[in-house]
Amino acid sequence: MLEVAGIGRDYRVDGGTHTAVDSLSFQVAEGELVCIVGPSGCGKTTLLRMCAGLLAPTRGRALVDGREVDGPPEGTAVVFQEYGRSLFPWMRVGANVELPLKRLGLTRGERRNRVAEALRLVDLEGKERVWPWQLSGGMQQRVAIARAVAFRPRLLLMDEPFAAVDAQTRADLEDLIRDLWSRLGITVVFITHDIDESVYLGQRVLVLSSPPTTLRAEIHVDLGPDRDQLETRSGPAFAKLRAAVWREIQAAKRGGE
Amino acid sequence: MVNAIRKALLAIGLPAVLFAAWWLASAGSTSFYFPPLSAIIAEFGETWTAERWRDDVLPSVARLGAGYALSCIAGIALGVLIGRTRWLFRLTEPVLEFARAVPPPVLVPVIMLFAGIGDGMKVAVIVSGSVWPILLNTVAGVRSVEPVQLDTAAAYRLGRTRTLLEVVLPSASPRIVTGMRQALAIGVILMVISEMFAAQSGLGFAIVQFQRSYAIPAMWSGILLLGCLGAALAALFNVFDRAVLHWYHHQRAEEA
Ligand SMILES: Nc1ncnc2c1ncn2[C@@H]1O[C@H](COP(=O)(O)OP(=O)(O)O)[C@@H](O)[C@H]1O
Ligand SMILES: [Mg+2]
Repeated sequence: MLEVAGIGRDYRVDGGTHTAVDSLSFQVAEGELVCIVGPSGCGKTTLLRMCAGLLAPTRGRALVDGREVDGPPEGTAVVFQEYGRSLFPWMRVGANVELPLKRLGLTRGERRNRVAEALRLVDLEGKERVWPWQLSGGMQQRVAIARAVAFRPRLLLMDEPFAAVDAQTRADLEDLIRDLWSRLGITVVFITHDIDESVYLGQRVLVLSSPPTTLRAEIHVDLGPDRDQLETRSGPAFAKLRAAVWREIQAAKRGGE
Repeated sequence: MVNAIRKALLAIGLPAVLFAAWWLASAGSTSFYFPPLSAIIAEFGETWTAERWRDDVLPSVARLGAGYALSCIAGIALGVLIGRTRWLFRLTEPVLEFARAVPPPVLVPVIMLFAGIGDGMKVAVIVSGSVWPILLNTVAGVRSVEPVQLDTAAAYRLGRTRTLLEVVLPSASPRIVTGMRQALAIGVILMVISEMFAAQSGLGFAIVQFQRSYAIPAMWSGILLLGCLGAALAALFNVFDRAVLHWYHHQRAEEA
């Protein structure tokens, strides 16, 4: 589904160049939920923007369905970290969710149905007429997720979507993502700096190093399909996995110094 | 409801006080140049007959309308083009900076030289001053669209036209409306000035004619009419502003 082959990106900073991502290679299979975790500033956003076709790589390439990404690939949805700013304040919630559907050749009724269904899935049923700025941060992020869901993407890219919401909302949103993923059978790449979150959500966790960033480790999360905020998180298997990820990140930080 | 009444009272309060002050201060005036307000108002009905409305007021308003509409279309279209095209922006930036600094009326004699003294000249004069605030504000607004919003539009492959109409223009609309408001005020001023230079009709023409024939109360009544026209246009613009930008004002009220 998604293949990243030797991808790298340099930024030009006053005269010199800063290597944000050195060289990364990995694959994500159809229907997988993969978490990418790494310390702040290690190039997670840079990586996601290259996969989404929003930023050209300096080296290497990303492929979606075997085709090289040279612009946003069809059938891909992105949920950004800055949820509040990714919604359009001049559109009500319904219009925000509907906008990407307008070019899909659907009838008005079909679009309405998809919007209503997506809002129901994120627990915002009937909020079509509300303005985004009347909602709390967690609700705004759910609108952004509903927009992605209504679009029915094959690949969903998420960049630290819950970094700025409170703990309880965050737990709810994590369960929502797992629920949507298993229900819709889409491929999800979920970026986070939160170790617990990466283990709780993913089937696989990719750990990035500090810049210049490479792939530090790959950890399979054998927690099974049914996860529960309380039980899963308090079990010994979870503790072992999070310790493994934690060790890799610590080593990555030291390696980067 | 009480709030609305209070707002309305505040809005008409100061004008009413000024009007009363003018009335009282000028009541006993025997000065030829500053007749009592009562005399001006009495003159108003005499002067602004249906014929004058048809021959002077309507042409003025029509020229203003044409000049303003052209300014809006040209200002927004060019502003979007310049703001969205990097090399064009770099190329035009110094010129735009200069144009911002030039006071609009200085161009009047120059444009008259080239455009003659017909209606076209007057519309051109209005456009020459009004287009700048719209153009400059559109450029600034289009350039300051939230990058995440552009990323969102790109990621969902909205396409050029839809991105422009549904993302870029609405995002820039508060700035564009600000520019249009400034342009309207400039447009009214330039309309009057252009009619004072060389014209056979128009509000500015009529006022200058009264002044030259020492019909001072009539002149004052013309100035009063101009003031009312300006106030009416400003009120109309506020209605437009609230209709187009209600999301913006609401959001700001909510955040405050
Ligand atoms: N547009 C840019 N210009 C210059 N440097 C950038 C730019 N974007 C990101 N960087 C730098 O690249 C590195 C990685 O950034 P980013 O991908 O945002 O990391 P993360 O999302 O993991 O926090 C950081 O050091 C950041 O300062
Ligand atoms: Mg980031």
